Amino acid sequence: MAETAVLTLDHVSKHYDDVLAVNALSFEIIEGQCFGLLGPNGAGKTTTLEMIEGMTPPTSGEIRYRGGPVPANYQDRIGIQFQATALQDFLTPYDNLKLFSAFYDRPLPMQTLIDAFQLQEFLHRDTRRLSGGQRQRLLLALALVHDPEIVFLDEPTTGLDPRSRRDVWEVVRRLKAEGRTLVLTTHYMEEAEVLCDDLIILSHGSIIRHGSPKALLAEAGVDTLDELFLSLTGERLDAAEATA
Amino acid sequence: MMVARSVKRIWAVFKARNLEYLRDRASFGWNLIFPVLIVLALAVVFSGPPQGIFSITYLGTEEARPALLAFPGIETVETTDESRALDRLARQQTDMVITVTDGAVRYWVNGYSAAGALTEQLLKFSESRPLISGRTEGDGIRYIDWVIPGILGMNMMYSALWGVGYVVVRYRQAGYLKRLKATPLTKFEFLSAQVMSRVMVTLSASTIVFVGTNLLLEYKMVGSVWLLLLIALIGALSMITMGLAIASRTESKEFADGLLNALTFPMLLLSEVWFSLEGSPEWVQWIAMTLPLTHMLDAARAVMLDDAGLWEIAPHLGVLLIFCGVGMAISTRLFKW
Repeated sequence: MAETAVLTLDHVSKHYDDVLAVNALSFEIIEGQCFGLLGPNGAGKTTTLEMIEGMTPPTSGEIRYRGGPVPANYQDRIGIQFQATALQDFLTPYDNLKLFSAFYDRPLPMQTLIDAFQLQEFLHRDTRRLSGGQRQRLLLALALVHDPEIVFLDEPTTGLDPRSRRDVWEVVRRLKAEGRTLVLTTHYMEEAEVLCDDLIILSHGSIIRHGSPKALLAEAGVDTLDELFLSLTGERLDAAEATA
Repeated sequence: MMVARSVKRIWAVFKARNLEYLRDRASFGWNLIFPVLIVLALAVVFSGPPQGIFSITYLGTEEARPALLAFPGIETVETTDESRALDRLARQQTDMVITVTDGAVRYWVNGYSAAGALTEQLLKFSESRPLISGRTEGDGIRYIDWVIPGILGMNMMYSALWGVGYVVVRYRQAGYLKRLKATPLTKFEFLSAQVMSRVMVTLSASTIVFVGTNLLLEYKMVGSVWLLLLIALIGALSMITMGLAIASRTESKEFADGLLNALTFPMLLLSEVWFSLEGSPEWVQWIAMTLPLTHMLDAARAVMLDDAGLWEIAPHLGVLLIFCGVGMAISTRLFKW
């Protein structure tokens, strides 16, 4: 079956005053695949993600959706799980699901989301009292409340314990199996290897490697993405994140 | 269809904001308890016997000043606004009004006031120039009657400005607005929901406080309740839109706090919340008239104490509506998620 590019970036750059945050990025995100953005803090990951999400416009270059301009109802087609999202104080997961469902024309039934993300046990608890894993499941549910075709996941497992992290991986696998396109940023190399079909490694706003995890490892002759990153930049990616 | 979608989204945000407010028991309780505590404290403080000082409002020049004004125990308020001075005399907020014209001393006292009769005798005893007397009539008002609109207005001002201005900045700082930006919710829908929610909260809380304290203290309310509600509605809207304008781009809660304080402090001081500005320099009174709370309180007192009608308070409502328009225009133009 022919691969269809659902999103295409063509020489996309972003300047903040005199600072060049992202430099002429060009790549495609294929429908139904999990696309990974890797890089240390300051590499341009978040800026790139925000441009693809439509949250911030590029300074130059073009982003295309299925070969054409990004449609006016793009927000209806994408779901975003931000890394650090605050929710309204004193609201429960149930209140939040109701609120976000009301923003869309055809939201998924609440019970479907509650079951899919196992929200039942803390459905009526103040969101400020949720554990990291429970909170992440709720944020994922909110990102999927309108059944989007593209899902953006910004470091979905950062700060989670190993069990919660594996729970999120399961959800990501399920989303892939449903045929959704996923765009994921992470600084866990193991996560990128396990989940991503295609990825780019960013450094100082530019792509320094692009390919599938397997192809990149074979090309560099190393066993893990961690080693690849070390060989490219002279530093470990998670160490760079930790000290940033 | 577009309108129906928009209404659905506004309603959802409106409900969520109300839930957040109602479940925040500390803030909710404080908004109700704080003004009641102030009213009760003032009622206790000002419930004693009269202070034994006669208040005389003088509208003349320094050279023509009557000797009476130099007597011990006489408090003099100087002003140039004769009609306002006579209004205060009718409410027994002053005991006598004096002006000097063509070498004669013209004075007014309130026929219902014993203090007025006494100051009249003192004036006759101390004055050698010809006297022309005038009479006005009206029941006196207690300080509590006068200050109640001020306290309610002050509470509305804090609730409106902080309840929107501070909360929106908190949402922005926490990244919640960014999350909303990623949905089809528009700026207009979000702002409308915030305004509606805060109007409802502010009016409900003020009504509860108004009715509750009136049951306890039976203060003066001679005008139309509906007119008072209209003043409260437009007054609250003007403050809320100002709060939104401040919050439209501010990213730091501390900076928002500073801006909101800079806005509320002059109103607290100059909008006649606690005391009348009569007798203060003209430029101070001019500044006071540029503040929305001044217009809200002037209109509310006119309705509550003097049974003013819509036509009489229309200029104040007009100014408040201008504040609403400017605040909304700035906030919709500048608002950043």
